[in-house]
Amino acid sequence: MKIEDVVCPFCGCLCDDLVVEVEGTRVVSVENGCTLASEKFMGDHRLKSPIRRAGKRWEETSYNEAIRETAEILCDADRPLLYGWSGTHGEAQSIGIHLAELLGALVDNTSTVCHGPSIMAIQEVGHPGCTLGQVKNRADVIVYWGTNPIDAHPRHMSRYTTFADGFFLKEAFRDRKVIVVDVRKTESANIADEFVKIQPGGDYAVLSALRAIVMGKRGIIPLSVSGVSREQLFRVAALLLSAKFGAIFFGLGLTMSPGKYKNIRNAIELTEELNRHTKYTISPMRGHWNVYGSNEVFTWISGYPYAVDFARGIAFYNPGETTSVDVLRRKECDACLVVASDPGAHFPKACAEHLAQIPTIQIDPHTNATTHLSRIQIPVAVTGIDAEGTAYRMDGVPIRTRMLFKGNYPSDTEILERLYALVKEAKGL
Amino acid sequence: MRVILQTKPRKNPHIPIEAEAVIPQNFLRKNDIRVYEGNKERKLEEIFYITTEGPAVSPDQVEIVLAGETGTLKRVGEYMNAGRIVVEGDIGMHCGNFMSAGEIIIRGNADAWLGREMRGGMIRCEGNAGHYCAAGYRGEKRGMRGGTVEVMGNSGDFTAEYLCGGEVRIHGDCGDLTGVEMRGGTLIIGGNCHRPCGNMTGGTCMIFGNADAMLPTFRSNGIEEREYEGQRFQMMVFRGDVANRGKGTLLIRKK
Amino acid sequence: MSELLVRNAYVIDPLSGIKGDIMDIAIRDGKIVEEVGRNAEVIDADHCLTLPGGIDSHSHVCGTKVNFGRYMSPEDMRAGRTARKGVMHVTSGYSVPTTFGNSYRYSTMGYTTVLEGAMAPLEARHTHEEFTATPHQDMLANTLFDGNWSIMEAVRDRDVNRAAAVVAWTLSAVKGFAIKLTNPGGTEAWGFGEDVHSIRDQVPHFGVTPGEMIETMIRANEILNLPHSVHLHCNCLGVPGNYQTTLDTIDLVPDLNAKRQSLYLTHLQFHSYGGSTWRDISSKSEDIARAVNNKSQLAIDMGQIMFGRTTTMTADGPMEFKLYMLHHNKWSNHDVELETGSGIIPVYYSRKSLVNCVMWAIGLELALLVKDPWQCMLSTDNPNGAPFVKYPEIIALLMSRRFREREMALLDPRTGHYAPLPAIDRELDWYEIAVMTRAAQAKALGISGIGKGHLAPGAEADVAIYPLKPGLLDPSTDYQQVMAGFGKTRYTIKRGRVVARDGDIIVEGANSTIWTKANVPPEYNLSADPEFVKKFEQYYTVRMSNYPVQDLYLPRGVRITTEAAL
Repeated sequence: MKIEDVVCPFCGCLCDDLVVEVEGTRVVSVENGCTLASEKFMGDHRLKSPIRRAGKRWEETSYNEAIRETAEILCDADRPLLYGWSGTHGEAQSIGIHLAELLGALVDNTSTVCHGPSIMAIQEVGHPGCTLGQVKNRADVIVYWGTNPIDAHPRHMSRYTTFADGFFLKEAFRDRKVIVVDVRKTESANIADEFVKIQPGGDYAVLSALRAIVMGKRGIIPLSVSGVSREQLFRVAALLLSAKFGAIFFGLGLTMSPGKYKNIRNAIELTEELNRHTKYTISPMRGHWNVYGSNEVFTWISGYPYAVDFARGIAFYNPGETTSVDVLRRKECDACLVVASDPGAHFPKACAEHLAQIPTIQIDPHTNATTHLSRIQIPVAVTGIDAEGTAYRMDGVPIRTRMLFKGNYPSDTEILERLYALVKEAKGL
Repeated sequence: MRVILQTKPRKNPHIPIEAEAVIPQNFLRKNDIRVYEGNKERKLEEIFYITTEGPAVSPDQVEIVLAGETGTLKRVGEYMNAGRIVVEGDIGMHCGNFMSAGEIIIRGNADAWLGREMRGGMIRCEGNAGHYCAAGYRGEKRGMRGGTVEVMGNSGDFTAEYLCGGEVRIHGDCGDLTGVEMRGGTLIIGGNCHRPCGNMTGGTCMIFGNADAMLPTFRSNGIEEREYEGQRFQMMVFRGDVANRGKGTLLIRKK
Repeated sequence: MSELLVRNAYVIDPLSGIKGDIMDIAIRDGKIVEEVGRNAEVIDADHCLTLPGGIDSHSHVCGTKVNFGRYMSPEDMRAGRTARKGVMHVTSGYSVPTTFGNSYRYSTMGYTTVLEGAMAPLEARHTHEEFTATPHQDMLANTLFDGNWSIMEAVRDRDVNRAAAVVAWTLSAVKGFAIKLTNPGGTEAWGFGEDVHSIRDQVPHFGVTPGEMIETMIRANEILNLPHSVHLHCNCLGVPGNYQTTLDTIDLVPDLNAKRQSLYLTHLQFHSYGGSTWRDISSKSEDIARAVNNKSQLAIDMGQIMFGRTTTMTADGPMEFKLYMLHHNKWSNHDVELETGSGIIPVYYSRKSLVNCVMWAIGLELALLVKDPWQCMLSTDNPNGAPFVKYPEIIALLMSRRFREREMALLDPRTGHYAPLPAIDRELDWYEIAVMTRAAQAKALGISGIGKGHLAPGAEADVAIYPLKPGLLDPSTDYQQVMAGFGKTRYTIKRGRVVARDGDIIVEGANSTIWTKANVPPEYNLSADPEFVKKFEQYYTVRMSNYPVQDLYLPRGVRITTEAAL
């Protein structure tokens, strides 16, 4: 059976035009998707049933038993952490946050290791953004800063920017100028009209310099700023200002380099300055397909996009203090539930080690690095393949992922609802 | 009155204690002070051995002494408006948040957010301070607004971020983006710092060591003489941050 | 079967013609009935003021931009936090509370129905997700058409039927309730950083004017027989001298509907400014109120501002950018492809600012100078003028001249020179307040027929009982009590269940979402229109099949079906 307009649960582009062929409970072909998408749909390393650690071995256990034990561990903890969420649908995320408020837990999503700094910057200066169609239809200058879409978001350029024809740009590739800023010449840089090579850690200074130039303070700029010549800075500023509609996209190269959220803040303030002259928007290149959804769901329930601490009953938020990496590094947590993410692969070593020290439970379809740190793993259906639910694209557009076939696994929502019910009962509510 | 709080051994000493109730004004009526250990509410006496000496009729006559494993105590001195707190060792995050009067002395190191959004009073840390020393809260436009924070050792990144008023003195070195978003007040650094005063719009920052990686958007504005610890120094004066229409003043010791 | 009897209630139910009678209200299975059995649960209202549940006809509480207001404002979130308690979820936020915060606070004030003022169709799913998490109020969504390319093309082609077809398709796809135009044409112009400055300006690239869009949409709305009228946020919001644009807009409005207004003008305070700069801004409330008084086909809401901190958020992207240039605080913007825009900035309305004082006066003046309370509804354009928790204070100001004078004494002394408020004696009475906070909304939105805003048998059992005894109170002097009373009901009853009592939330709740489906003849069904489908696939970034909001996003959807006169 061929299913059209399938939503891809891989990256923040959330492409929704895939054609997927299904035979029984197996995907046999994927059209329109990038290679990352095909891997996600075709890959099949599912865990067969819940497992728990028995000494040095794993033993199979039932869903009932695994959920019951998980509830006990979480209820016993003084400082439990519920981490992950970006790889599942919004309905499951919502139960997760309610579970955290019930437990007095910390709850955090993968923003903590990707675009958390972008969120912190937005909280200082706001976010002039737009949906991706606005870029596709209007943008004549595109900037990729600290991001290599050809690798990480393979269809970003063809669906939304460089190669996508739009209403006001009938021949996109000719009509748009592309600027790439990075510390090394990436594949994306090869197709740029202007490539700006910055010394590592130099983003903040270059952004400050560009702001000053756009404001007309050219005289203050030294001959070279972080490895970028004054002439190139002037040329880039002129190119930026030549736009009728400019769109800046940035990635982890900017969020995770020295200065972190202040880099993003500076980039946003450059965007705001450019808006005094023409139209500009700026957007983070979000990684996980539904990480933005986790930020949205966290926010309407708790008021904060990530790193929320319910220990005191109320919601408290302070990245650096309530972010999972920091909390684990300080060994605060005494139990952890990981849902739809792989901190074992993405967290610093000290954090992973602490996860291995405390009772860690993972809810995930696949075995992965986190499995090795866990005591219990509960396999679930994969959202977008054998489960469905809401996802938010990197620009905030909500799209419902599709269930392509009915498999034998319960969804994250079903597992979390059962867990929530047990905890509620244990709390006498 | 002198209240001595000596920490008791705990099963899991890594879990922080939230102790915003530990402020002098609360000890006038001593009964039933609660703190939190993770998500569990605890009576003060579950966490501390408590010794009380002498009387007090007003909070400014109360001195609290914290001893033992105090490095995980958070929010000590929050909203403090009188009296004195002495920490014999290290102190956890958010010591002296929103403090408006009184004094806090820390003999060891202070963790991050020392004196966050402070309004008045005095904090002295004899060791090092963590990140965001004398800074603000996420999204809030104004950080510390008054009072004095003095750190005898070093401080971390984002020292005095969003400083609006009062004085911050760091005798050692500061980390990255010192005085970022400053809009008022005075920041004095005895040692070195990195990328000072990005995006500043007001206030004065004086650096008596080296300023590494100066941002390109400061305008040189002559030489002035300033005093630090009894000695007079020639200082290069800068105005900025020009990227932000800034009217702040940055002075760096001339070599 | 569950039965409830509210006894000894001092009832004002304007839609039923009840203006203050002591009576009993019988409720069975969520509806008002003639009588109930002996075993019904009884609430003794003890002669307290009892009204149909409050209805907010223009508020921003759910959806992409509201949530972004939260997302970008941890400082606002920490300003109003409550812990989980009983059935109550955690709440955060003061000017943009979390969904549960909004819901509980509205409930505490006796509000049971809220219309979200602006939903971008492309992001409708988000609004509906948040509706579900706002459990105590029935929700409705104004759907944005101000920069809709298909609409502008229909207007350009002078094809009102085509415009009607686009509206019908969109409302049905996104489960919207009514047509909202926010700065029509301006949000499209903002796509390239421009704006429109009058209803006669051309919208760049589309060859239409805002005036033509407004006129066409008013007629399209009536062709579709929609329950509500076009809901308009006029052009030039917040610009000194904009009252002329507002008067020009009012001139366009025909009288096409016997049951309700033909145009709803929202937050009119922001559109009633004289002068030419921020230095000489003045109140033109008298001119605007006169125009409203002369045209019964209009309904308005106040858009009152109250002093203090709040967050402004609107689909009017260019206006928010202008505000940002004034305030230099943080600014967010979110343009939505082919449809609309939006912007957010935090503001502080200060008694020290003459401009803010004049704005404050204008809102009250509109409410006091519009003669018929059915034509002027109470609102703050939450949270733009102030968070809705300020409604009780506004009610007290409208009911007490003394309170207004006391407040005026705290303002910039020049306020009286620029605004006529000091000369206005009128004090509204309980009945007029009941009209302005529920009955007029039910009529204007066209939802009295589905049992909203009144207490006649058959109506939804949404009831608010306030700790106020009209016989024993003189609102003119006891304004503090009035304020406190409207701030916290003794009982808020939603669909027959007590959901809030003396400020405590006692039920988790499950709301309904009211939406509109206009049936059109097959030749007007755009799903089968090749031209429409082709443009959709070319210019949107989602596939047409992934655009409509699935029924499961409205677990308790209430559909109002109409037949289009096409």
